[in-house]
Amino acid sequence: MHIPDGFIPFWQCAIYYVILIVALYFASKWARKNLDDKRIPLLAVLAAGIFAIMSMNMPIPFGTSGHMVGGALVAIIFMAPEAAVIVFTVVLIIQALVFGDGGITVLGANVLNMAIIGGFTGLFTFKVLKDKVGIYIASGVGAWLATVLSALACAIEMAIAGTFPLTIGVASMVTYHLFIGIIEAVLTVIVIAAIEKFRPDLLYWDNEKTTGGE
Amino acid sequence: MADITKALNLDELASKDSPIHNLDGRIKLISAVLAIVVVAFSNNLFIPIVMEIYLLIILKIAKLSYLNSFKRLLLLLPFGGAIIIFQPFIHPGNILWRYSWITVTDVGLNWAILLLARMTVSLTAIVILSSTSPMQEIVESLRKLKMPKDLAMILSIMVRFLFIFIDELSTIRKSQKSRNFHIHSKITPYKWRVRQVGYTIAMMFVKSYEQGERIYKSMISRGFSDKSNIYNEKKQLLRSDYIYIITMILLIIIIEVILIKYSNQLGYLGENLSIN
Repeated sequence: MHIPDGFIPFWQCAIYYVILIVALYFASKWARKNLDDKRIPLLAVLAAGIFAIMSMNMPIPFGTSGHMVGGALVAIIFMAPEAAVIVFTVVLIIQALVFGDGGITVLGANVLNMAIIGGFTGLFTFKVLKDKVGIYIASGVGAWLATVLSALACAIEMAIAGTFPLTIGVASMVTYHLFIGIIEAVLTVIVIAAIEKFRPDLLYWDNEKTTGGE
Repeated sequence: MADITKALNLDELASKDSPIHNLDGRIKLISAVLAIVVVAFSNNLFIPIVMEIYLLIILKIAKLSYLNSFKRLLLLLPFGGAIIIFQPFIHPGNILWRYSWITVTDVGLNWAILLLARMTVSLTAIVILSSTSPMQEIVESLRKLKMPKDLAMILSIMVRFLFIFIDELSTIRKSQKSRNFHIHSKITPYKWRVRQVGYTIAMMFVKSYEQGERIYKSMISRGFSDKSNIYNEKKQLLRSDYIYIITMILLIIIIEVILIKYSNQLGYLGENLSIN
């Protein structure tokens, strides 16, 4: 759901850019406080990893293919949507400038959908459900909801831009992502389970339990 | 979506020699962004068409193959293309063509053409930028153009690592392939295939995190701290750089002047096709 250049009028792009700048301000403040000097190499390498992950296309029933976005995953692992904002801003800048995926004028809108809305939804759902249904179901539902809501936001932005009518946009984008979301959810759960197995110290909740934080 | 294995070919392309390749990265970046901004917010066909012709000339000067660039463009179209394809059918306007309940309106068709033109020109500008400047140069240019320090540093480290991950991913894929794993193979159960992809992603994630920690340690052991600055190579802008950027700016001014003065004579090209 990378919106391309030219699909959103000027003043709306400007608004999304303002949102992006505000989000980046809070994200870098968060990173300074929680990750110290470590933040730069860590987030950079993670961004490269997310980039690689995004390029892995997975076949989906009905003959299409989709790929994982990972906004919810990054937010859940760091327990902070701010991490997703930084990682995705960097990834989307390179995708727009080098690969032509997404666009430069619409960078703000794309970060808003995938990182801000995706990250917040994923993390919030996870936090609410974690103690009731366990971390796996919680992260799965979080990732699924994050995908669906990102798609919904994308459809709404297109409707505000006048590029695509709301009803058809919401119906098609959301229906499509109801399915894509399942893949995202399953992969998120598998990744979290694998990290839990190989490097439990990377997960915030395990970290608190075993070492009491850093 | 962006297939990162293409990054290798891209950087190979970008290290060739031509008048455009030799320009300063900042100049190429600013020109590309200028072209995209002007075109993405245009509401007639005149601007995109003139800009596309100009960009095609640049493509020729850069000694890039039209065919390969065109193929790259096609790969980038899907998401935007899917949205454009519906446009003629969903906007109210004068009906041009009707088949039972399907109608094509002039407003919708014009809007679809405009969107396609905007997207094509933007992508052409990106194709030129990315096939004439290596990724590291683009990132360095962003840094020289005063991008916030933290972001700029994350960007440049990320780009260095991208290539390592391309190798890492292809290693994982190779070893899976050697065990007869194929992602589209219908012989194995779907669930199992999804789980394998999940493991691959988890592996990439853990590897990237561990790599990040190692880098951090080796960076501090070499004296890195929060206040470190990345070394910027000082590069003087040459005459060719000025010529390139001034040509771009002049072109934009001329297009706008022609549009304001002669919009009546341009006919369809000068018409406002935008609906927002």
